[in-house]
Amino acid sequence: MRHANVVILTDETEFARLLTACWQAERQAPNITVLNSDSWREQDAPTHDLVVVGPVRDGKITSVLRSLDPATAVILCVPADSQEFGQLRTKYPRLVHIPLREDWAQTLLLVAGESLRRAKALQTARQAERNAARNENHATLGRYMLDMKHSVNNALTSMLGNAELLPLEPGQLSSQSLAQIKTMHSMALRINEVMQRFSSLASEMQDAETASQGETADTAAPLSRRR
Amino acid sequence: MAADVHLWAMDQYGESTAVQKKVLIIDDSPAQVKLMQSLLEKEGYWPVGLSDPKQVENTIAIERPNVILLDVVMPDRNGFQICRDLKGNAEFNMIPVILVTSKDTASDKYWGQQQGADGYVTKPFTREELLRAVRRFA
Repeated sequence: MRHANVVILTDETEFARLLTACWQAERQAPNITVLNSDSWREQDAPTHDLVVVGPVRDGKITSVLRSLDPATAVILCVPADSQEFGQLRTKYPRLVHIPLREDWAQTLLLVAGESLRRAKALQTARQAERNAARNENHATLGRYMLDMKHSVNNALTSMLGNAELLPLEPGQLSSQSLAQIKTMHSMALRINEVMQRFSSLASEMQDAETASQGETADTAAPLSRRR
Repeated sequence: MAADVHLWAMDQYGESTAVQKKVLIIDDSPAQVKLMQSLLEKEGYWPVGLSDPKQVENTIAIERPNVILLDVVMPDRNGFQICRDLKGNAEFNMIPVILVTSKDTASDKYWGQQQGADGYVTKPFTREELLRAVRRFA
């Protein structure tokens, strides 16, 4: 949770102070930014994984919630009655309401911890999806290169072999023709060198793909252990 | 150029003699067969070409070659399968088999050896590389 970013949005200084103090007393605290409803504009807010909305001035809750991206994880910690929360929940599916009761801070920390873990898991899943898409492209290119390499090597075998055979016919070819055959032979050898480099590239791409899969597995492992 | 030439088991076949040696070339590409035939003819060998991998056993039974040059990537039946079948056949298993292929990874060569191949020449090869491999057995 160390690298998670949390925005506390409230007009009550005491709420923000108490919540920040509770969080900092935990073994792993997220990065916390405190904003009031006047300074809040989501597009200007620092990157965040979770928004905690505390008590704000009358009439501000709706405008604050409306400004949030529906996909943003939000914990609403206000003395709202259950009917009002029910309506809000319909509109904001990722909204969690914690009533401002005696133990609200501890409850909020527990819920926030789970919410941040979910955000982290989603981030890891998206990264894995991006890696998979990139690897698929690499794999396609690698397969294509291997197919082509086989065909090119067969063609090169004929070119090189015939270029070596022709000069063995005594008196059949002029010196100019022999020189041209020698050039063709040299060029075929050069193509062969290029193909060797392609082979190395295909091998490097395979190594990179394996390493990438390993990284994804390493990133995912701590999450699964936590559950 | 340094095409790989691996020869694994030459001693059991003994030294070549002055008699014209027959080399069976199995490759689905007629151009490759013709090329290897030309290279070997110039060196005094008696090359026999075959482009249909399903006719291998029949052809060997008729031609009785001293050595076999065998491509790997072929339709219907690949060179690894053919090599494994020949080495498991009591009638043919003493004929040296040299795999001649564009498959050039270490695992390809290892797999070829596991099938009982006696040599491995990677394409593209030079004339000298091919002849060196054949001379070890015929």
